[in-house]
Amino acid sequence: MLQIKALHLENFGPFKGRQIINFSSDDGVTIIYGENMRGKTSLLNAIRFVFFGKVIGRSTKNMPLHKVGNWEEASAGRYGFSVRLDFDDSGHNYELTRRCVLKSGISAPSSDDDYGIEHYLKKDGDVLGPQQSQAELKRILPEQISRFFLFDGELLQEYEDLLSSETDMGRKISEAIERILGVPVLTSARATLHHLKEKSEHREATAAQGDQKTREFGNQLADLHAQRKELGKELERLESDLDRARSQKASLEEAMKKKERVAALLEKRDTIEKLLKQIESKRVAKESEVQQAMSSAWCALLTETLRETNKSLRARESTLQTELMRADVLKSLQVNAGAACPACMQDVSSEAQERLLASLHCLSITDRSEKDRELSTLRRKITALQQHEESGRAAVLKVLWNGLEEILIDYSAKRSEREEIDKQLENVDEEALRKTKFDFENIIRQIDVIEKGITKTRATLDENISDTEAIQKRLNKLSIGSVDGERKRRQFFSDLHSLFKDAVGAYREQLRKRVEADASTHFQALTTEPEYAGLQINGSYGLTIRHRDGSLIPVRSAGAEHVVALCLMGALQNNAPLRGPIVIDSPFGRLDRGHTRNIVRALPTMTKQVVLLVYDDELPPDLARSELKGKLRGEWMLERVTARHTNLAALKE
Amino acid sequence: MNSDKKTIGIAASNASALANIASIGRFASELDAAKFAMAYTIKEEVSIGSFDSVDTKWNVGSFDPDGSMRSLLEALFPDTTEPYRLAESLMNEGIKRLDEALSSNGDFYETLFSSK
Repeated sequence: MLQIKALHLENFGPFKGRQIINFSSDDGVTIIYGENMRGKTSLLNAIRFVFFGKVIGRSTKNMPLHKVGNWEEASAGRYGFSVRLDFDDSGHNYELTRRCVLKSGISAPSSDDDYGIEHYLKKDGDVLGPQQSQAELKRILPEQISRFFLFDGELLQEYEDLLSSETDMGRKISEAIERILGVPVLTSARATLHHLKEKSEHREATAAQGDQKTREFGNQLADLHAQRKELGKELERLESDLDRARSQKASLEEAMKKKERVAALLEKRDTIEKLLKQIESKRVAKESEVQQAMSSAWCALLTETLRETNKSLRARESTLQTELMRADVLKSLQVNAGAACPACMQDVSSEAQERLLASLHCLSITDRSEKDRELSTLRRKITALQQHEESGRAAVLKVLWNGLEEILIDYSAKRSEREEIDKQLENVDEEALRKTKFDFENIIRQIDVIEKGITKTRATLDENISDTEAIQKRLNKLSIGSVDGERKRRQFFSDLHSLFKDAVGAYREQLRKRVEADASTHFQALTTEPEYAGLQINGSYGLTIRHRDGSLIPVRSAGAEHVVALCLMGALQNNAPLRGPIVIDSPFGRLDRGHTRNIVRALPTMTKQVVLLVYDDELPPDLARSELKGKLRGEWMLERVTARHTNLAALKE
Repeated sequence: MNSDKKTIGIAASNASALANIASIGRFASELDAAKFAMAYTIKEEVSIGSFDSVDTKWNVGSFDPDGSMRSLLEALFPDTTEPYRLAESLMNEGIKRLDEALSSNGDFYETLFSSK
């Protein structure tokens, strides 16, 4: 089993200069603590680089190596980097070195083309030749299964795709799982036996053609064999077309996903345009309403002044009215002098009349008309005041202004939103968007046609096999020496092929059961939910949580997804012929303390060597120490020197 | 003999300020804005300064078609004998002051709805 002993870095990512991490040779967990941007993912990538010459970015795509070297060194004109991994495997000692160096004559590199990659593998002190070195590495850690040894915690989410046989990612992971479990050994044997069986059938047919008694059968068998050969080729071609179409569909799906956002943006922009037009016409209407109302705004400003003035004018009007009424009464008394008293209807004595006339001071005609003019002017003013006071409706104006302001704010917000979308849509090729959609629909149709073609070819192949078997039965009844020998050979390979065919199915079923049982054991140790009894596996190695009442939990959180994926990892390690260390970057980011604790405790049971790349808050050192106890084999810290320079430091007890 | 004005004018120095007020205040016409400026001066009870010669903008028939403005001014300023001349001065003073106020805090809404 692969066991890492030391990782040597030189100018790799933030690791400036030469730096080294030593790993304990005892089974257990090594923890490397580092805050964000200190270089945890770079360490994982350093191992990837030394094995496969690749560095993976956050989007799971390969990163240009030109960008991997230490920036501080690069700014000082020193480019390139190297990684060396010291490890043991199957009792041998290995030293694997991979370097990225500037090509001669290049002083200021601008792309990967300006670099060359050198690598060599030492086994027990001897440098291996390139082919031998490739073969050794392929045996020790094949790239196709590296996802089970070196992984980013965040990408554990991908394992959810195993629950659906429809996704290409699910199919890819499922194939990788079978690879790590050793299924290809059996399937390759089955394919070889199939080839041998076919060959022996051809020989039998040729032998039968050689004898007059069996020639007719021989000819028919030869024809059927030739047809089968063609059908096999056709099936192979269709299957390869299907693979190609599926991967094309996957990349178009990916492009569609990216462009889905653009399509949604375009749709949103159209909706906003419509809304803007509606708001604009509302604005015009409201603005005209406000303008109309503003013609009396001046009255609203003076409402209080007008009211007060009106009040005082009305008081004066009342005084004047009283004065004039009094004058009218006195005047009538004067005019009616000598008549009976209008109150008691008795005659008024002459003395009384004289006294009365003496006491009356009637208004002169001039005074009277003066007062009348004043009253009339007053009334004119009061009418004007009242008219303008009533026009000044400040509350109505305020409602109108507020309404217009709201419309303007809404308009401005929508316009900003549209501008934001316009910015995002800059350089978007709408034609390309339509083409991707067209291509996607086209590839779906193609896949359908290919799948139908495969079904039809398989049916014809089955028919061919059944016809061949019928002729072989009839041929079996005729005993011809030369044909008998070939028949026995064909029978032997046919039996063996059937045996391996059944064995592949049986082995897969056994593996699934074993993986399910081991993953369930891990799950019971990891989950904090006592009602969960275990995991149930499907045909693609997807795992579903099983409740203790037997029902399956249909949906699960991102955190639960990570726990289940880790259980699968542990179960694969238990059942794989090839084992190795697990190096995980940020595995606890989505997990609560309870699950983190359980996982840390269970890690040493999953594989012999575990390397955790974590930040303090994700896994507090105290928690790690108390849960791992003697299984904690080393603690390292990624110490910041500058933004582009990190030092590896071993933590002292 | 009545010597009151037959036309109302705006001082040349106030012309652009009036256009600005009409726009900010969402008035349908400069006349509405000028009336508002007049009311502003009355409300603020400020003294009226002197202005250069004015350029005629409206005749009193447009300014006060039903004569109610004259009555109103006479009610508010009982001592005035020339209400239209007074209106003109109030307008010009108001335009000047409103323009100053809007330039300093720029909020017409406040001017319109805040009570003194």
